[in-house]
Amino acid sequence: MSGVLGHYDTLHGTVDAIERLRAAGHKDLEIYSPIPSPEIEEAMDIHSSPVGLWALIGGITGCTTGVLLTAGTSLGYPLVTQGKPMVSLPPFVVFMFELTVLLTGIFGLVALLVHTRRPVIKLDSTYRTDFSVDKWGIFVPAEGDGRGSAEQLVRDTGAVVVEVTE
Amino acid sequence: MATAEMDTPRRHLTLADANRDITRPIAKPQGRYWILLLTTMAGIGLGAGAWFYQIAVGLGVAGITHPVMWGVYITTFVFWVGIAHSGTLISAILYLFRSGWRTTINRSAEAMTIFAVMTAGLFPLIHLGRVWYFYYLMPYPSQRQIWPDFRSPLVMDVFAVTTYLTISALFWYVGLIPDLAVLRDKVKGVRYKIYGALSLGWQGTVREWRHYRRLYLYMAGIATPLVLSVHSVVSWDFALSIVPGWHSTIFAPYFVAGAIYSGVAMVMTLMIPLRWAFRLEDYVTEDHFENMSKLLLLTGTIVGFAYATEFFIAWYSADPIEIESFKWRATGAYALPFWAMVFCNVVIPQTLWFRKIRRSVRALFALAIFVNIGMWYERFVIFVTSLAHEYEPGGWGIYTPSWVEIAILIGSFCWFFFWFLLFAKTLPVISIAEVKEHLAHEQHGES
Repeated sequence: MSGVLGHYDTLHGTVDAIERLRAAGHKDLEIYSPIPSPEIEEAMDIHSSPVGLWALIGGITGCTTGVLLTAGTSLGYPLVTQGKPMVSLPPFVVFMFELTVLLTGIFGLVALLVHTRRPVIKLDSTYRTDFSVDKWGIFVPAEGDGRGSAEQLVRDTGAVVVEVTE
Repeated sequence: MATAEMDTPRRHLTLADANRDITRPIAKPQGRYWILLLTTMAGIGLGAGAWFYQIAVGLGVAGITHPVMWGVYITTFVFWVGIAHSGTLISAILYLFRSGWRTTINRSAEAMTIFAVMTAGLFPLIHLGRVWYFYYLMPYPSQRQIWPDFRSPLVMDVFAVTTYLTISALFWYVGLIPDLAVLRDKVKGVRYKIYGALSLGWQGTVREWRHYRRLYLYMAGIATPLVLSVHSVVSWDFALSIVPGWHSTIFAPYFVAGAIYSGVAMVMTLMIPLRWAFRLEDYVTEDHFENMSKLLLLTGTIVGFAYATEFFIAWYSADPIEIESFKWRATGAYALPFWAMVFCNVVIPQTLWFRKIRRSVRALFALAIFVNIGMWYERFVIFVTSLAHEYEPGGWGIYTPSWVEIAILIGSFCWFFFWFLLFAKTLPVISIAEVKEHLAHEQHGES
């Protein structure tokens, strides 16, 4: 990818750099971070994730499956035990709960894979192994003459290493 | 992720230090490791051999017989399910409460959870005797026209334990993904490919972290009620019967407290030698053990209170059968296991009121071993004394475990430790991302 990659030493330095780069019109940044950081998300103006919706759908699916599995099959295979009604809600709630939890978790994981577009075999050309250790990376996409000004801007924001990529 | 207040490490650490120190144990194993691993494999061989013998000869080689049909196998099943509890407790509940001290122990505790459930899951199969008929328990349309009874707590148990295993494994794996990427970036060759595949190509982009953080939060949210539900369901296997000593409304909270109690003790049993062997004193400090000790003291006191409540309710009910059952529990043929249970679970943990004990790693290790033993005895006492001494004197009997049951019990411990040893040498025993998150904020003087 064509652009400029800056390496940063600290989380706060990275957040400051993101804010300055975005203020300068570079909105389409790729950020690499060794830790989860709400500060970076805020600086990138990211406030939501669809994972919750997936989890909710999973939960509803699980609960519905629990109802169908317990009540449905008890009616399908009628056998009175303990003198209880065929559809005995109190014990069936346990199965509904377990399946709600189970499918919420599974749907959540699927959502993570879908929305992060994982798994991938080949890592980004702009990814560096330092970014999983103690450095933060900001990649600024830039073409042609724009790369020069982007490089200067990245230097000005305090990057400890600056790379220009083709 | 939890950043609020991880206890301060002993020396000033950088993010690179955390990477280096926590991944250091993942290297070529040395002699001591192989000795431990081979010992556990020998124990597994012993247990597996005894199980095959039981399969070949029949369930009669186990000591279980009328009236005690639930003996060492079900005792050990409940023991391991209990052990499994604190892993998710530490990961999920303490995460939601932003208790930063969980940060350096949650990974190992979660691993312990998974291996404990894997161990527990073997026992219903072993207890079946004719294990090849296991599929009768599965709900599927068949010519036999039978279907699992969804009103039975035994079927609830199957769903609860398998859900717990699946969610705990997912929660553990999700937490591991960023750390697997750290390992991938550190190694070469085949190991690069393995860690690369397991990390799913994680690069720590803002998009990845955004979804990851949400998923971790939701996972913690759903795992919290799950922790409470699983051992409640296990307790209903007993409480929903009419056996004296079992038919009690306090069983669910009593079992949940006992499970957390035994689980925290097992976390200590594992973390103390691990911390020493992997030189992780800068990360797992006395402060962590003191916090765990407080949890141990709280849950141990609840368990002691539950023991007293059982006896009080038996007396207060004025039911002669119930009174006789509990009197016999404390003074009958199983008085020794009963008083061993009281000594290990109620008396010894009261020493944790002293700060000096709470901060002494050696004392805590010894105490945790006592609690482990006491909690196994607790299940043995509850199940065996109640079944051995039910309503009719003509139906009373004494149960003695056979060598086959003892061998399988030993094998189960070896099976558990075998997986934990493999884990300790192949994956980070402390969450690197969470420790670094704390350190990164600490750099800026944030608590």
